[in-house]
Formats: sequence, C-alpha cells, structure tokens
Amino acid sequence: MNANEYQGSFLGRISIRRNQVVVMDAIHEQELEDIELFQKHVSDRFSELSSPSDDDAVLSISWLCKLLDVFLCCEAEFEAILLMDRDPYQLSKPPFDRLIPELLDRAVKALDICNAVTNGVESVRHCQKLAEIAISALDQKPIGDGEVKRAKRALSTLMAAINLDDKDGTNAKSTERSWSFGRRSGNKDRVAGQFRSLSWQVAKNWSAAKQIQSTIYNLVAPRGAEASGLPSPIYTMNVIMIFVMWALVAAIPCQERTGLPTHFPVPKQLNWAHSLIGLQEKIADEWKKKEKKGMAGLLDEMQRMEKSAQSLIDFTDSFQFPGDAEKLQEAAGHVAELTEICRIMEQGLTPLQMHIREVFHRIVRSRTEFLDVLEKASLPVI
Amino acid sequence: MDECQSAIPTVDGELHVVAAAHHIVKALGTTKNLSDDLRKILINLDAHLSTMTSNIDSKGGKGFFGVEEQLKRVERKIMIWEAEQMMIWDSGPKDTSDYLEAVDEVQTLIDGLQSLSVYENRKRKELLRRASSLLQMAMSRLEDELIHMLAKHRQQFEPSKYVSCRSTRWNVVYNESFDSLEDEPAKETSSRNCTSNESSEYIVDLVPAHVIPDIKSIAKVMFTSDYGQEFCEAFIGERKEALEQYFAVLKMGKLSIGDVLQMEWTSLSSEMNKWTRSMKIMFRVYLASEKRLCDQILGEFGSCNLFCFLEISKATLLCLLNFGEAVAMGPHQPEKLLRLLDMYETLSDLVPDIDALFSEEAGSFVRTEFHGLLERLADSVKASFNTFRVSVSSNKSVYPFPGGGVHPLSKYVMNYIRMFPEYCNTLNLLLEDRHSDAANLVTELQCGRNASLSTSCPMACHLRSITSSLESNLHKKSKLYKDEALQHIFLMNNIHYMVQKVKDSELRHFFGDEWMRKHNAKFQQHEMNYERSTWSSVISLLKDDNPGSSSLSKSTFKERCKAFGIAFEEVYKTQTSWCIPNPQLREDLQISTSLKVVHAYRTFLGRNPAHDEKCVKHTVEDVEKSLLDLFEGSPRSLRNSPRRVKP
Repeated sequence: MNANEYQGSFLGRISIRRNQVVVMDAIHEQELEDIELFQKHVSDRFSELSSPSDDDAVLSISWLCKLLDVFLCCEAEFEAILLMDRDPYQLSKPPFDRLIPELLDRAVKALDICNAVTNGVESVRHCQKLAEIAISALDQKPIGDGEVKRAKRALSTLMAAINLDDKDGTNAKSTERSWSFGRRSGNKDRVAGQFRSLSWQVAKNWSAAKQIQSTIYNLVAPRGAEASGLPSPIYTMNVIMIFVMWALVAAIPCQERTGLPTHFPVPKQLNWAHSLIGLQEKIADEWKKKEKKGMAGLLDEMQRMEKSAQSLIDFTDSFQFPGDAEKLQEAAGHVAELTEICRIMEQGLTPLQMHIREVFHRIVRSRTEFLDVLEKASLPVI
Repeated sequence: MDECQSAIPTVDGELHVVAAAHHIVKALGTTKNLSDDLRKILINLDAHLSTMTSNIDSKGGKGFFGVEEQLKRVERKIMIWEAEQMMIWDSGPKDTSDYLEAVDEVQTLIDGLQSLSVYENRKRKELLRRASSLLQMAMSRLEDELIHMLAKHRQQFEPSKYVSCRSTRWNVVYNESFDSLEDEPAKETSSRNCTSNESSEYIVDLVPAHVIPDIKSIAKVMFTSDYGQEFCEAFIGERKEALEQYFAVLKMGKLSIGDVLQMEWTSLSSEMNKWTRSMKIMFRVYLASEKRLCDQILGEFGSCNLFCFLEISKATLLCLLNFGEAVAMGPHQPEKLLRLLDMYETLSDLVPDIDALFSEEAGSFVRTEFHGLLERLADSVKASFNTFRVSVSSNKSVYPFPGGGVHPLSKYVMNYIRMFPEYCNTLNLLLEDRHSDAANLVTELQCGRNASLSTSCPMACHLRSITSSLESNLHKKSKLYKDEALQHIFLMNNIHYMVQKVKDSELRHFFGDEWMRKHNAKFQQHEMNYERSTWSSVISLLKDDNPGSSSLSKSTFKERCKAFGIAFEEVYKTQTSWCIPNPQLREDLQISTSLKVVHAYRTFLGRNPAHDEKCVKHTVEDVEKSLLDLFEGSPRSLRNSPRRVKP
C-alpha cells in the first residue's frame, strides 16, 4: 500500500465520519478490506523472506536486516489500521481492553530483547576483529611457525568467544583473566589475552529465553467473531513481533538463551502465516541441532566463521614447516572464506545495529501512540 | 633500497665502504628525537648493511653467518623471559629496554632478510622463519605485558570529588508521590549555588602518567611489527573492563526497561538521581579522560584511537542511554517532573561534550541517540508538567479537611512549584510552545519574553495558571464544610499559605506584586467574611435596640446575657477545634475578633451596670481570654470548665 492509497482511505473515512450513523457498515467494510490487505502484505513479505537468494541466506546479516524492514513495514500498516481515525472508546472496550495492554506488554519485552541483541552484535564484531588477525597472519607467504602461532592465538580466542556460555559471560572472563596472570604456564593452549567477554547490558538475572517465553505466554489466536475483526490484526502483529524477536535471539549472541522456546503456536489454517510458520520451523530445527554446541547463535556468517576457524585451528595444530602443499591450499581457501565473511560483517554489522535501534525506537513510539489513545479513552467525558 | 640490493659488492674493497656506511647509520640511529619513519629507514638500512657485510664476509657461500649469530643472541634474550614467571615491566627499566631492543633487532633482521628475497637461499628462508617465529613469541609476550600493565595500574577514583553538589539537590524532597499528600515535605536545604565549575572538565589520569611511556613503547613496537590489531583488541578489552568497573562504582543498577517501568516511585527517583550523577561523571570525567588516554597512546597510529575509544565506551553508553529511554517512556506522573527536569538539564548540558567526544563519523550513532533522548526527555517533561496541572485541578476530596487548616494539596503544590524557579530557563524553553494548545491560558499569556526573571515569561504564566487551578479546587473543597464560617477559615488559611510561600521564595519574582496584592486582599476578605458570619449574630445580641434609653430592662438583660453565653460557648466549643496553623494569622484574627466582641461586650455590660451580676456568666476578661483558645485545633468546652466568675 503506498502513501497515496493511505491518504485516500484516510480522507475517505473522515468524510464518512460526518454522517457516521448511516454509514457504519461502510466503515466496517472498509476496515475489513484494510485488514485483509494488511494480512496479504504480511503473507507476501514473509514469503519473500522464506525464499531468499544466495546472497542472503536465512539468518544472514542481510536477511536479518530485511526481516527488520518487514517488521517496520508491517508495524506501520498495523498502526494505521488500528489508530487512524479511530474512536478511542472502541479500544478501551472488551476485548481490546485486554488485547492492547497485552500487546504493549509484549512491546516492552521486545525492547529489552532489542537491547540485548544490540549488545550481542558487539560480540559478533569482536569475533570479526579476531578473525581479521588470523587472516592477516595467514595471508603471509610463505607461512611460517610465527604466522601459524599468531593465527592460532587469535583463532583460539575466537573459538572461546564463540563457545562462551552466554549464561555467565562475565564470570568466564574473570577466571580467564586471573589464569592468564598466573603467567604463561602451558603456553600452548592458553587463551590469548584479547579474550573479551560479553558484558551484559540488561539486568543480571535477565534471560532472553525467559523473555521470549513470556511473550508467547497467553498468546491466543482470535476465534469466532473476533477472528474477522480488529482482534485479528492485533494477533498478527503479536506473532510478527514475537517471531522477529525470537529470530534475533536465535541468531545473535544474547544473554541467557538456554531453554529458548522452539515453537510458538500459530494455527496453520491462517493464510498469512504460512511462510512465517515455515521459517519458524526451519530456524527451530536449526536451533535444536545447535543448542547443545556453542552458543554463538545461528547467524549465518557466524556459523560459517566458526567452521572456517575450526578448520584453520586444525590446520595450525598439524602445521609443520614448510607445510603440506595440499593443506596449505585448503587453508588458503578457508582464509579466503574468512576474509569474505569479515568483509560482509564489516559492511553489515553497523547497518544491522542501526536497524535494531530503529525497530527499538519505532516500538517505543508506537507504544506511546497507543497509550495516548487509551488515555484519551479513559478521560471522563466533559 | 633497491639500489642497495642491486649494489651487492663483489669486490673486497667495497667491504670497507659498507662498513663505513654501517657506522654512520649506527651513529645516526643513536640520535634522539628521530621521527619514526626516519628511524625505521635507518633500522632497515642497518639490517641491509649487516646482511651485506655477512654476505661479503662469507663470499656469498655459507652466508648469513653474522645474521644467524645475531638471531641466536636475540633469541636467547627473548627466550629467557618465556620461562620467567615475572613480568618484564615489573622487573625494571633495564630489562624492559633490553627486551624492546631485542624485539627491535628481530624486526630489523626480518626486514633485512625480507629485502634480500631476490636471492633465493634456503638459509635465508630458515632464518626468516626463525625470526618471525621469535617475533610472534615476543608480540604475544608484549600483549600479555600490556594487559598486565593496564590491569595493574588501573586507577581508582572517588567520583564524588568530581561532581558539583548540584546533583544532590532535592535529595530529600519529594520522594512521596502525588497521591500521598501527607505531611509537609522535608525542608529543602540545597540549592544551585555551586554551578560555577559545572562546565569545566575533570580529566584524570586513568593510568598513571609514568606508565604511559611504557604502554606507548609497547604500542610502538607492536604497530611497527604489524601487530597493531592485537594491541587494539587487548587494549580495548582491558579498558572496557576498567570503564565498566568505574561505572559499577557509580552504583547505577543494570535494569531492564521492564524493570524501570515497574519500579515504584522511591526507587525510581533514586535511580534517576544516580543516572544524572553518573552521566556527568561518565562524560566529564571518565570518558573525557579515556579519550585522552586513547589519544596519548594511539594518536600516532592512524584512526585507531577513535576506533578504540568508541569500542571501549559503547557498552556503557548504551546502558546510560537505555535507562534514559526507559524513564522517558514511562508514565508521566507529576512527581517525576523535577527528576525529569534534572535529567533533561544534565543531558542538555552534556550534549556539547558528547558531540565533541564523538565528533567523528563513527560516533554519529552516539550523537544521534543522545540528541534523540534529549528530545524524548523534553516531551516527557512537558507531559509530566501537564499531568501535574491536571492533577492539581482534578484532585478530589470526599470529606472536608478537618479543622479548616492548610490542605495537603496546597502544601504539595506550593512546595513543589517553589522549586520550579531553579529550572526557569529550561521550563521557559520547554513550555513556550505549549501556548498554542493551552487555549484557556491565552489571555494571560500575552507575554513579553526578554527577562527570564519576570512575571511574563512562559513559566510565570504557567505557575499562575497552576495556582489558580489550585484556588478553584480549594473553593470546591471548601464547599464540603457545612459551616460557612469554616469555609472562610479554610480559604483564608490556604490562600494565606500560598501567599506566604510565594513571598518567601523566588516565586515572588514570577508572581509579581499585583498577584500578591490581589491575594492578600483575598485572604483578608475571607477573614472578614468569617468574622461576619460567626460574630455578627452574636454581637447583635449585645446591640442596643433603642439607642435612646440608657439601659435594658432586667429581664431583657438577663435574656440577652444568657443568649450571649450560649452563643459564645457554642462558638468556643466549635472553633477551638478549628485550626489556623500560622501563629501570626491566628493572632491577628484573635485580636481583631477580640476588638469587636470584647468591645461590644464591655459596652453592653457597661451600659447596664445595675443588674445582677449573677446573670453575667462570663466576665469581659473571661471572654477575652477564651478568644485566645480559638483556632488551636483542640476542641474545648466552656460549660464543663469551672465557672470563671469572680467570687
């Protein structure tokens, strides 16, 4: 729906309002049309997301940016349907007196997730820096022991950062540190000094998994008469918000993800939800596979980085000068892959962070707008 | 360089030339104050010459003998430390300079060997391999030394030294919410009298000055050897942790937005206070100092200093930012207003610092976010101000306030707005654009806006509008009293209280003389109305119906005396329980009442001297004395008290 169309229907509705009693039905019809269109757009957008091109695999940085764009578009449309030219009293009556506060409650939870994830992107960036060190060591020709050791040091730190238990990032660090002060015994496997943990932003006992769980809690699809009215886009928006936050948590390192739900119930018969459900199942499968292993998350680039880094660690472990030609070539391949990933990260992480922040601000703004409407509704008629 | 390489001497005699050149280079190398580039060139040259010498020396055959010897020597120097538990920089300047020299030497050897790559030679390759392995070892060691050094010299500070007392103002005031209109709040003691050094920065040594050259020497050698990335990562990791430690000292809890929104007012208020304080300390002290530290250490290596500074500060900044956002999106309770104003003013003061600290492109995110937060805090201030006004006019009572004293709402509002002049400039700025949508104020808002301390600035207009809301609310509340006289006492008390509060504070500049005159007249009017409604009927009992005759008949006198006694006792019983908290006001009213009543009574008794004293239940003195018991807020009765008639 473009801006003109919006304006058309908006102005149309204002003029309709003037003799509203007569044309209540017309408004209702218009509303149903808007809802249908909204859900069609949701469906289209998610089906586009679920058939990504090679450049942006599901849960890659660019895919996440697209996902966040989808969120922003859907949110704008949703807000227009619910708030534009709306009689505030309607939203203060059942079932909206329950549905809207619930939506706003989820919105607040989403904000904390945005913050946790923003912080998580920082740790991805740290991994990128470590990978770049390994690259600059292994890009040398010929590769000697010095380069190999240098790369290994960076890669071990990288792997430690990837495998860091996201439950107690800080604790892991402090023991790590005192250990490195213990000084240079068993130099070989010592994790390098640049080891940096994720210092969590959010409150100490805050858990991304629990946060997601609580947003899913009591999410029920509207039934009966509600299924065709305004409760239905509210439900849709809830599902989109939960899905987006859930995908971010699954993809990006985040405070305490153990027990992240892998399923939230969305009735399959809902047409707009097909692609979303498909994506959800796909990501959930992936999560189940990875959950027990490292906690870097499902971010496509991180997974590729982990793989290459692991192969390169194996390479450095078995390296003996001058090195087997075949292995050297293989390693060069991994280095090229790492270089490519780092390039993508260098270009993509800042925009991703900006996107997350934009979503954050949008949620804040939209919440304020809903609260304003509710406040108007609660004021006594004078 | 190429010339050097192509000119590998083949004649023995040339050996001398090389040797001479070598001497010159060495001599030049000892000169202090060489630029880095120049020093590097000399070092390279030195290496070339050594290699040449050894090449010539061995006639290109066994070759590299000298280089190998040199490598073995530095290898020993570097390897010694690998087995050593002690940190190099802990063991003295001699060791450190030896070590750095050794590392320099390795680097020089590597450069020399690399520059000879045209001559394929297995020995050269092997030596190069050994040298770069040695270099890696040394770099890894230096990285550890760096981390150790940074951690060891992490300075601790007492942050309170660095903030002015302004941030602690109103610490004790207004922690109660609007709903708990109870007692008068604690007396506000602090004020903004210490703002003089607000804008100066307090840059401190986050790392002692004497350590900086050591860190720089590590930076230099690591960057020269192309290990700059490792240096940055280690440096960032360590400084980030230090900054978080400083942040932790400020005791700002790490709170989720959900937490902040659910927080009860007292805790939130204290968190808001901590934020205000933390913001100042973080930006003015820690971040400003951190920036300097980054510049000092990394200034010479491209834009590393900017990158590192941003990485170090990001997490802490986000923490501060998100608390601000959480507060700004919270409900607009009126009690939040002052704290919000503190937050707004703090941030608005800091915005230039933030812009300066993060002036580069990479820092644009930080700048945008804080500018955005400032706007949202401004919106929140405006919304809270509005809620405050609405609460003032809509505060409802079901029961009359006992005794007709000063209503808690008056106390709350007057004590609250007494603090607004502190925020005059900010409020004027933020409230100005409210003119348009506060339609009912428009008539009053024909404001000139040149002087801030004037009765016509936006804040003054809003203040008067708030007190007039308060007045009309008080009028509503006064109607809850059945007794008309008590209505007047209540209004008199409350308006008098308002006038006093205005007179005794900065508010007087904003309310102006005219307001004062008008309101003085108002409470005096209520005073008079009280006297009329209570006493005119009582005094009328004592009035002489026929001014012509000299005295009343005995029966009439008796009757009047009795009626007066009953009426007076009734008034006494009721009005001793009423309350005029201000002693001056109470005394004034007692005196003026006394003047009228006692005078009338004395005249009455004086005109009828002949009658039986038994009729006179209360003497003039009794009446005069009893009047002093009125408005003390403790009900008494004259009937039960022993008769005060003279024997």
